[in-house]
Amino acid sequence: MRPEMREYNYDWMMGSTLKAASNLANGFPKEAALALNYIPYARGASKALMDEGDPGIQLFKLLSNYYENILLAHSRGKKLVATSFCFSPVIFFAMDIVPVCMEMMTGLGNILWKRGMSDYLDFAFEAGLPETSCSSQRGSMGAYLAGLGETIDFVLNNMAGACDTNANAFAFLSAYLNKPFYQMNSPNTIGDPRSEAYHLADYSAMIRFLEEQTGEKLDYDRLAEILAEVEIQDELITDVEEFHMLKPTPLTPLDNLILYVGRFMFSGRVEYTNVLKALYQKALPKARAGISGLRSGEEKLRVLMIYIDHYTFDFNFWKWFEENGVAHIGSQLSHHFRDTVPYAADLPGSVYSVDTSSPAAMLNTVAQMNARGPMVRSIRGPYDGPFMWLEETLTLARHFSADCAVFNGTPGCRNTWSNNKLMARDLEKAGIPTLILNDDAFDDRVENWDATRERMEEFFTIRGLL
Amino acid sequence: MKQNSSKNGSIVAGCDVGSLTSKAVIFDGKRILSQKIIRSKPRPEESARNVMGDALALAGLSPEQIEYCVGTGYGREKIPFVNETVSEIRCHARGAKWLLPTAETVIDIGGQDCKTMKINRDGEVERFMTNDKCASGTGRFLEVMARTLGIGIDELGSHTRLAKSPVTLAAACAVWAQADVVQYLNNGVSVEDIGAGINTAMASRVAILVNALKPEGDILMTGGVARNQGVVSTLEKLVGRKIKKTRKADPQLAGAIGAACIAFMKTQNKGAEK
Amino acid sequence: MNFFHKAASSLDVPEIIDWKKSGKKIVGYTCSYLPPELFYAAGVLPVRLRGVETDGLDIGDAYYGPFVCSYPKRILQLAGKGRYNFLDGAVITPGCDAMRRLDECWRKAGDDHPGILPGFFHFFDAPHKDEAHGFAWFVEEIRSLMEKIREYFGVEITEERLLEAIQLYNRGRRLLSDLEALRCNPAPPVSGADAFAAVLAGSVTPRDLYTRALEKWIAQLDSEKTDYRNRKRLMLVGSVNDDIELVRLMENDSGALVVAENLCFGVRAAGGLVAETGDPVEALARRYLGESICPRMFGKYSERLARLKETIQQHRVDGVVMQNIRFCDLHGAENALFERDLEKIGVPCLRIEREYGPLVETGRIKMRIGAFIERIQTR
Repeated sequence: MRPEMREYNYDWMMGSTLKAASNLANGFPKEAALALNYIPYARGASKALMDEGDPGIQLFKLLSNYYENILLAHSRGKKLVATSFCFSPVIFFAMDIVPVCMEMMTGLGNILWKRGMSDYLDFAFEAGLPETSCSSQRGSMGAYLAGLGETIDFVLNNMAGACDTNANAFAFLSAYLNKPFYQMNSPNTIGDPRSEAYHLADYSAMIRFLEEQTGEKLDYDRLAEILAEVEIQDELITDVEEFHMLKPTPLTPLDNLILYVGRFMFSGRVEYTNVLKALYQKALPKARAGISGLRSGEEKLRVLMIYIDHYTFDFNFWKWFEENGVAHIGSQLSHHFRDTVPYAADLPGSVYSVDTSSPAAMLNTVAQMNARGPMVRSIRGPYDGPFMWLEETLTLARHFSADCAVFNGTPGCRNTWSNNKLMARDLEKAGIPTLILNDDAFDDRVENWDATRERMEEFFTIRGLL
Repeated sequence: MKQNSSKNGSIVAGCDVGSLTSKAVIFDGKRILSQKIIRSKPRPEESARNVMGDALALAGLSPEQIEYCVGTGYGREKIPFVNETVSEIRCHARGAKWLLPTAETVIDIGGQDCKTMKINRDGEVERFMTNDKCASGTGRFLEVMARTLGIGIDELGSHTRLAKSPVTLAAACAVWAQADVVQYLNNGVSVEDIGAGINTAMASRVAILVNALKPEGDILMTGGVARNQGVVSTLEKLVGRKIKKTRKADPQLAGAIGAACIAFMKTQNKGAEK
Repeated sequence: MNFFHKAASSLDVPEIIDWKKSGKKIVGYTCSYLPPELFYAAGVLPVRLRGVETDGLDIGDAYYGPFVCSYPKRILQLAGKGRYNFLDGAVITPGCDAMRRLDECWRKAGDDHPGILPGFFHFFDAPHKDEAHGFAWFVEEIRSLMEKIREYFGVEITEERLLEAIQLYNRGRRLLSDLEALRCNPAPPVSGADAFAAVLAGSVTPRDLYTRALEKWIAQLDSEKTDYRNRKRLMLVGSVNDDIELVRLMENDSGALVVAENLCFGVRAAGGLVAETGDPVEALARRYLGESICPRMFGKYSERLARLKETIQQHRVDGVVMQNIRFCDLHGAENALFERDLEKIGVPCLRIEREYGPLVETGRIKMRIGAFIERIQTR
């Protein structure tokens, strides 16, 4: 890490950038346009979100709040937990704990800063986290390992058995910083009584850990309030997912990102409800009129991302979709698995339901919901097992009318890189052209964005898709 | 070599047979009497004989006049005439100490690997780290990249200073970096901007190793890459400390000098035993 | 000693061939979290799967991606070439992501290379935690595996037979503890390579033959016959290793001796007794899930460090060599923590990254280890 990077607190840097950005939309459009001239580094990303209109502006507010919560947590007497995007934050909000979601923060840093998270990625490597390990945590973790973020109070992870690399990074963080740690794990199957009972037991033990750390018992009335908000959100998401199935989809490529960033950061909180309402309101007229959400107005191709997106600078990945008239019809992160979504009946093991009738029912609700986050849900077992990666992808491809599938990930992903060739083979057999990208979604130094873009264009051209 | 005491004090030699170049120095405990660097031959024995033969000729000495010779480098087990072999990590540390007595941290970038060392007052290694990756972070990386750019390796060093908008390169893998370079060339990016990107990619790899050692005291850089000003200046930024160079001898010779220092120490110890 | 070295360095183990010739069944397994006693009790020979003697990785690379550890790839390569066709069964365990995916990769390779997939192919879902619910899950996994064995091989694993198997394995474990005690001596009677071969052989040979050979061999060890007294004493830890050559590389002409290890194929897995009282399945679960900890258990770092420190002290270790196979995040991260915490208390450490398989990087690794030994010698 360059020495001058040590002069800045990473959380404050991100927090103040996002705070300022969230205020951009408060004035007149001309004022905002003028302000953009003075923020050369964040201009591209800020403009991209502002161009999304209300959903983008709401997301800025949400992100700004997220950082404010982190920065002020200790002065407000709250604890900070290092956690992963695969872990539903509802339990933290119910227990007044402030989550710090490592992968989201790495992605944001990459999108907002031209040189991305490279310094922090490298510092994590210097500290001992192998450079071959997943970059999604390694980026922001580097800042916390270097003592450049707020002090983490404890570490929680639920990825063992689904993504051991992820679990390992969090175990490393806790050992390096000498902070308490709780690890949850996933069995090889989902949706069967035995694995559900296991999740419940594991989740209950995790709550005991949280209670020890905070010194407070879980308040079920508070949990009920949060779950009531989740109910509202799930209903909106179900509507938005239905819009997304329309051909053309009234959603923009970036809406996919807005949908999941909000959920991973603020599920169960009104900040996210606001984002969803804005998304819904924006898409509704287009859905009714049967108009594409793309700015060009014409949807040439529907691409299903079968893993994650590419978090390169300035939202360039999503801009590519816009510029080429390609609809992004979601990724493993953006699709939702509440039992109300239209594809739920085809994937009964993968969906959760919400029951707030008793504390025990609520506990089981959050435990099963948590077990159906991205990754833990469908890359825990063999890719060709019931409800796993292949079945989920084929189901989504069918419901969302995918023309083709693209795998984008990180070289640190031992899990998917151990079976994405098999996936691609099976998807091709099922008639879905499939591209595997070699880049690192969180580190442009592995393959620069221009090269990745060229690979995509080459694929779409050769396969006659564009 | 024959162990043979010279009247004017001991004359010793160090021979470093590396993957790209082979070096030899003839040393009297204070001064380098002669030195030679040649491109390595396929067979290490041949490299060693040639380079040592040249060094001896330059000093006007015969092999019998060398009291003790230490061999080092990748080919050290194959050098026929040495009295002893020592790892290049230890030799580079000793050589660095001789080149810059205040050095506490040493960076050596050779053709095939990159080593960083922390050394104590006696020039012995306290901790070291080496890159375990492929060619990236090694002299070979710069060679391959320079060739791709169609320029000489010595030209590359000035690019960091001349570049207007350096490019970002795939730093983790030389093969990918090369693909990036070709792509930038095709897109009409200036050679200087690409060259600067190459130097930065190289420096970033090395900086990780240096920072992981938590450098202290003076940092000395040895090995051929020390001559690349672009890599050195970028590395200084990434490490946040000045990197010293030495005028006492060619930094590429550090391994051979260290071998000679160890050889000289052996002759002195032998004296003490008598 | 020949018995051990032969078994430890080749797939063509005479004892396995004899076993097969006599018409008995053989099952391969991939992880130290599987209790082989279960198979032994069923009259089936459990053989730990390895990737030795591979040339090329074309089959491994056809299914696995490029950013994956070479160990499961090499197992798959051997399977793809038919070298594991002597197996009647295989058990895959989620040791880590890459090992877990051997399940799909082997099955899919079986579609392309008929005959390479054993008839009995089981996923043993060992949890990553030993708390009550993890323990209960593990016990269920053992019982379900026993049931599968009964169905497929037609053998009932009775409590008596299981206890017999446990007692036999324990006998071997006690002998290995004796061996470990000998390696603590200032003048160990055995080289690290020989000791490692002796431990490794236990994972591929019939346990009764192995135990007898071990007993005989240990009884004749004598430090008067060796000159290991003045060697620098090394310990080897890190990623999976079943290559005696790596140990030899550390010892030969280097002035060093490997006196201890903490490795998946070594005494880490072989040590520690299984209780011979109470329910044998629960006893196995306690030993296999709870006592042989590896970084796959996440969050057990301080216990792992404590064990390492204890071994370092007992075996008078001068330096620790930590290796990790490229793309092994679990051991890579742990090695860095070990290095930090052991150097702090004055134990020299060397971290190296390598590929699994025939020692392709001998020169590079030898150079580093050589310099490390010099560092210890000049201290």
